[in-house]
Amino acid sequence: MATASETTLVTTRNESGTKWWTRFLDPSEGTLAALLLLPTALLLTLIIVYPVCRLIWTSFQNLSLTSGLPASFAGLENYSLMLDDPVFWETTWNTVLITLITVPGALLVGLALALMANLPFNVKWPVRLSLLIPWALPLSFAGLIFAWFFHSEYGVVNDVLRRIGFEGVIWFNSANWAFAAICLTIIWKTSSFMALIILAGLQTIPRSLYEAADVDGAGRLRQFFEITLPLLKPAIVVALIFRTITALQTFDIPFTMTRGGPGTSTATLAMYIHQNTVDFLDLGYGSALAVVMFVLSMGVTAVYLRMIRARG
Amino acid sequence: MSSVSFRKLEKSYGSLRIVKGIDLEIADREFVVLVGPSGCGKSTTLRMLAGLESISDGEIRIGERVVNKLPPRERDIAMVFQDYALYPHKTVYENMAFSLKVRGISSAEIKPRIAQAAEMLGITPLLDRKPSQLSGGQRQRVAMGRAIVRRPQVFLFDEPLSNLDAKLRGQVRTEIKRLHQAIGTTIIYVTHDQVEAMTLADRIVILKGGEIEQVGTPDEVYNSPASVFVGGFIGSPAMNFAKGTIRGGQVTFDGGAGIPLHDHSAGKVGGLEGRDVVVGIRPEHFVPAGEGHALSGQVQVVEPLGSDTLIHFALGQSTLTARVAPEMRPSPGEALSIGVDPSRVHLFDAATERAIAR
Ligand SMILES: Nc1ncnc2c1ncn2[C@@H]1O[C@H](COP(=O)(O)OP(=O)(O)OP(=O)(O)O)[C@@H](O)[C@H]1O
Ligand SMILES: [Mg+2]
Repeated sequence: MATASETTLVTTRNESGTKWWTRFLDPSEGTLAALLLLPTALLLTLIIVYPVCRLIWTSFQNLSLTSGLPASFAGLENYSLMLDDPVFWETTWNTVLITLITVPGALLVGLALALMANLPFNVKWPVRLSLLIPWALPLSFAGLIFAWFFHSEYGVVNDVLRRIGFEGVIWFNSANWAFAAICLTIIWKTSSFMALIILAGLQTIPRSLYEAADVDGAGRLRQFFEITLPLLKPAIVVALIFRTITALQTFDIPFTMTRGGPGTSTATLAMYIHQNTVDFLDLGYGSALAVVMFVLSMGVTAVYLRMIRARG
Repeated sequence: MSSVSFRKLEKSYGSLRIVKGIDLEIADREFVVLVGPSGCGKSTTLRMLAGLESISDGEIRIGERVVNKLPPRERDIAMVFQDYALYPHKTVYENMAFSLKVRGISSAEIKPRIAQAAEMLGITPLLDRKPSQLSGGQRQRVAMGRAIVRRPQVFLFDEPLSNLDAKLRGQVRTEIKRLHQAIGTTIIYVTHDQVEAMTLADRIVILKGGEIEQVGTPDEVYNSPASVFVGGFIGSPAMNFAKGTIRGGQVTFDGGAGIPLHDHSAGKVGGLEGRDVVVGIRPEHFVPAGEGHALSGQVQVVEPLGSDTLIHFALGQSTLTARVAPEMRPSPGEALSIGVDPSRVHLFDAATERAIAR
């Protein structure tokens, strides 16, 4: 009732005095929609659109704070530089490889963890808690812990290897072993996030479907592939989108574990961007690298979204 | 097709006894309805038969086989769930084909079977749809279709109509009955709705608190309820109950009025002179004044139903309901003279609430 009487009031005012702002007090539906969206639109512009535009703009400039020269327009120079930069190619390749290994890896481990957590335990909280802890741990913290785990002298990994009769590995001296250690750490750190999303998906599947399948004669394995997996698809795609995008931005774990070494063999694109902008203060080139990463992320998202839509 | 028997069937959750020793023999091709109030253990009993719930004690046989330890898939039963439990990502056809595929039946054989079942249920045009594109009634039919194609020994239904609106419920009820007449497979059907039980069943099993209260044909449980509970549960509007005492060949209500005991009953209750009883009279067993034994009361509320009229009237301390001809429209407050046929008066022991006559 309050709204109705207010509207009447406003209308009366609108008819007598015709100040321009009265239009906002009795807006049409279109104006109202625009007004309601405005704060969000402004906020998004401020925190997303402006920085992205600024980034793209900077990538077309010569802007190195060490050179002492003022910024100047460089056209596509930063991008052509990139094509001949072997470190760019190596770090990009490392990033893609980390994504290709750790995303499916975390998906498989996460799926297994979620299925386990979904078993009818009497006490549920220890299981849930052990899923939440790796997820809640800061990335760099996980990197530091695992750097110790993989330490050649004091690390638990080598200790176990020696106890079961293998020789210890000097993990961070070899490009391949260092890379493997990083991938294992990332999978450990990220599979709990996968598991949490998949667990949420699992819990939306009604129990009666499994009972119907029991009566229909399907065994456990068949139930998994014919009921669980198809009904989990939406949850899995969502988890994959989030995980892939963060995998393309991998920084903290290799940064804390190896600093990209030996050489640049475990450096990622994000680390190379960091090096160019923060260490070398070359904002122009750094921005161009960041634009490449942005495009890569958008491309992957587009592919996944199309997958969801195709599945209806 | 097959018989089913429960012997001293028990189910407990921890120290909580839910099903308390059910003994029941169900013949091949019989349509048996388990009915009772919410929480009386109907679903639990059905789920034990299906193998979805473990059996705490006793024995279940399907045909000659004891199935206590068999998993659901080896029991050769099909079940229609209350929420239908259709696989949401499969089409209607795939839903119906699933159990056959699992059993390794070739698609050449699956196709005609599904076509036949779909024809019988009128869902042929829906075979390519997903469950989310179906109405409640259509989903219900698909769930039945999924059960039919299996050609199992026994069909189990757990409240299959409770998610449908009243009109559709009546329609599908008739269809289920027709289906049973057509295929003749043993059906065990759970409901809390006594109308469904009466209309569908060859035999009704009335459960209360995990125990069988009475087993009988719809006529038997309607005409000779074994207890106050059954009398009140079966029939609508519900049976009237009033406290009374047996004195000198007649039952006297607390209010003072009396009804002579029916000859046959009188013989049986002869030794019960002075016993306190509960008298049960169905609303539809009142007759116009002048027929039967006359009672007089005071009209309280009149509810015209079109086909007949419900009169709520005071008789001594009790309020009774009578279902009478539609022309009869007394006004509230009026004195009412109405007849009752002594042969249709039920007597129950006041202490045990079990029937003591007829
Ligand atoms: N897992 C369980 N643990 C403990 N008690 C249970 C469990 N499952 C069911 N019960 C209890 O068993 C009793 C019977 O349940 P059941 O589902 O068989 O009732 P019902 O007769 O089918 O009732 P409704 O008409 O409401 O479906 C209920 O009191 C219920 O609370
Ligand atoms: Mg139930």
